[in-house]
Amino acid sequence: MTRSRVLGLAALVALVVMPWVLARHQLSLLTDLLIFGLFAMSLDLIMGYTGMVSFGHAAYFGLGAYASALVLLDFAQPVPVALLAGALLAGVVALPVGWFSTRATGIYFAMLTLAFAQLLYTVAYKWRDVTGGSDGIAGVPKTALFWGGPGLASPQAFYFLVAACVVLSLVLSLAVVGSPFGRALQAIRENERRFTSLGRDPRPFKLVVFVLAAVFAGLAGALFAPFRGFASPEVMFWVFSGQGLMMVIIGGIGTLVGPILGAMVFILIQEVLSSYTEHWMIFTGAVFVLIVIFLPGGLVGTARRLGARG
Amino acid sequence: MTPLLETRGLGRAFGALQAVADVSLAVQPGELRAVIGPNGAGKTTLFHLVSGLLAPTSGRVLFRGDDVTALAAPARCRRGISRTFQITSIFPELSVLENARVAVQLKAGGNFRLVGGRGVLDASARRARDSLGSFGLLDRADALASTLPHGDQRLLEIAMAVAQEPALLLLDEPTQGLSPEDTAATVAVIRRVARERQLTIVLVEHDMDVVFDLADRISVLHFGELIAEGTPSEIRANAAVQTAYLGGLD
Amino acid sequence: MANLVEQLLNALALAGLLFLVSAGLSLVFGILRVVNFAHGVFYMLGAYLGFTTVALSGWFWPALVVVPPIVGVLGALVESSTLRFIYRRPPIYQLLLTFGLALILEESIRVLYGPTAKGVEPPVQLQGAADLGGLLYPRYRLFLVVLSLVVGAAVWLFLRRTRAGLIIRAVAQNSEMADCLGADVARVRTLVFGAACALAGLGGVAAAPMTTAYLGMGISVIVDAFVVVVIGGLGSIGGSMAGSLIVGAAQTWGAYYLPETAMVIMYAVMGAILIFRPWGLFGEEE
Repeated sequence: MTRSRVLGLAALVALVVMPWVLARHQLSLLTDLLIFGLFAMSLDLIMGYTGMVSFGHAAYFGLGAYASALVLLDFAQPVPVALLAGALLAGVVALPVGWFSTRATGIYFAMLTLAFAQLLYTVAYKWRDVTGGSDGIAGVPKTALFWGGPGLASPQAFYFLVAACVVLSLVLSLAVVGSPFGRALQAIRENERRFTSLGRDPRPFKLVVFVLAAVFAGLAGALFAPFRGFASPEVMFWVFSGQGLMMVIIGGIGTLVGPILGAMVFILIQEVLSSYTEHWMIFTGAVFVLIVIFLPGGLVGTARRLGARG
Repeated sequence: MTPLLETRGLGRAFGALQAVADVSLAVQPGELRAVIGPNGAGKTTLFHLVSGLLAPTSGRVLFRGDDVTALAAPARCRRGISRTFQITSIFPELSVLENARVAVQLKAGGNFRLVGGRGVLDASARRARDSLGSFGLLDRADALASTLPHGDQRLLEIAMAVAQEPALLLLDEPTQGLSPEDTAATVAVIRRVARERQLTIVLVEHDMDVVFDLADRISVLHFGELIAEGTPSEIRANAAVQTAYLGGLD
Repeated sequence: MANLVEQLLNALALAGLLFLVSAGLSLVFGILRVVNFAHGVFYMLGAYLGFTTVALSGWFWPALVVVPPIVGVLGALVESSTLRFIYRRPPIYQLLLTFGLALILEESIRVLYGPTAKGVEPPVQLQGAADLGGLLYPRYRLFLVVLSLVVGAAVWLFLRRTRAGLIIRAVAQNSEMADCLGADVARVRTLVFGAACALAGLGGVAAAPMTTAYLGMGISVIVDAFVVVVIGGLGSIGGSMAGSLIVGAAQTWGAYYLPETAMVIMYAVMGAILIFRPWGLFGEEE
């Protein structure tokens, strides 16, 4: 058994026993961390494995949150239906955006994804009838697991749902990354011109992974809405997209697990800072600048380097 | 017999500059053809036109008798034209084996297997190892490509193209930047692999010793035009080539 | 007819502001190969500093002269204390670094000025409307059109006709080569970054009487500027001008005829251009 499998198994056991170890509010914080971890992981699929920096990933999280909120509040469907709706809406919108954006490369791609995300943000902000405008949609209930099934209102129940979604998404993403498709993505990241000259147009690959990443981000958003009880334009804002990039960089780009940890660290830093000052964004920005300059490999990358040295 | 590769009146202009003009040549199956010419003669542009990275402004490219002028680079590769670049072009942070394996996979297919795909991975790895073995790179298979010395990186790039089992292999200055010893070794490997795999090769080269050593036939480009074509000894004796090119070296 | 002229002038005024921001963005990309996400925040900083200068002096004109150099110096300091160290990294890292800087600056402005928007009075000479053969049009917007034309021409002349401009273009072409030829590349980068920030600051001061100084104006202008450079092509001043005109026109006519979907018009135009030229109208294929 390899070291990473042992670590994975240990993490899984830890996730299962957490509800009996942690206090109620700690479990709630962990649930939050896992949701943002899933968001950061989804971004790593395009950023770390394909080398495409999306500056508008929050849009798909937000779409997932809105779709989920509407399904739960207006149609009172079970939570899994809301999750499906959130993931689906994010994927469907990502299709045309991705089609346009993947025509450009590098920095142009980053700018385009940002521009489209701001467009979606504006729509969410202005389409009051559906999205509730700047107030968003509040009072989103945690309905049942299935029609007539057990409720998910207890923190433990919802925690397990979130943990299961995150673990499944991670396992699926790891499978994708190791598949022929995932290997092709990494080749695109390394050298797009060589890729083209070896017989394939990279654009369909990029489009598929862009949509896939949006689906996972949508799932994270769809979990977020019932967990926090609301969906608002905030979660589609550019700041959140940038924070996603930070989570990935902090954790370690191109490692999938790293960004999940990075998200946790990021949110915890934010929690701590915001308990001291309402202007925590200044310090977040500063921490981020320092990490970019001094720790480009992120936590996992740096740990690996130290491990290789030791 | 149908030539494997044929260009008819092939030309490419960049604005007012005619980089390649009216080049018609035919390469027979099994042949090892060298394209030579001074700097800026249009050799690399000609390669881009044949491999599909550039669209011609005039003329046509025929492969196995089919007109492939309208096909983009990826489609031409899948039809059987593989190439290398003048400046080493590999996947630096992937392993040596993975470099060659991806090359095989991209051409052979199964690229959109999002999960699983064991069969695709194993089959392509087999062919990749085979090619790496031919180039003496198998013992470095697990190393990152970026950690190989320059000469081995250039060999790896050729091994990637050969792993695709192409009908036509285009090599753009394979000995560029190599020491004399490495150049000799690379020439020996190319000769051996070409014979073993019965490859048809078109090669652009600067090093005249390499060219006269390897090539069956030589085409000479000068200011984008084809000014001579023949066996190495014919080219050596050709007066036009002497003045245009070889003379300049003395 | 009068209506058409009015819309045209509106489009030009908007395009002028966009040009002041996107030209700097594009110039920085040309020289440093960095897309400066914080560029919009420097524009916002210009607007707020403009507000302060007007509040202190009681006049508008000093702001136009004093603020751009201050923003420029601040920009140069930021470049030489952070960005300078990571030029060799992949472009993602520079973009992310400037994102971090944007957060710091934006939040600092919130701390200093509070959350409410700050109005800035236009100078007395430019208040009210001018009579353009029957059409009454705000004088201040006319001034914006003229200002951006003058600045645009000055930037162009500077790059084309002066020795400093020649060095900058040489660095943009090939920084290693320019280094060999004796140009101090590090200094050129710092100065260009500072100059671009000064241009953004000028844009911010000029915009303040029209839009007020408000939090969020930075991101809103940077997104528009991104669209401008995507359309025009990064690294090209001509491209910034063309892109600004197109975006200015799309937003103005969009807001007039289809107020609910004005943004969509802009993106539709951008999408159409991208299909045919993914690297922009004046950009070079990578």
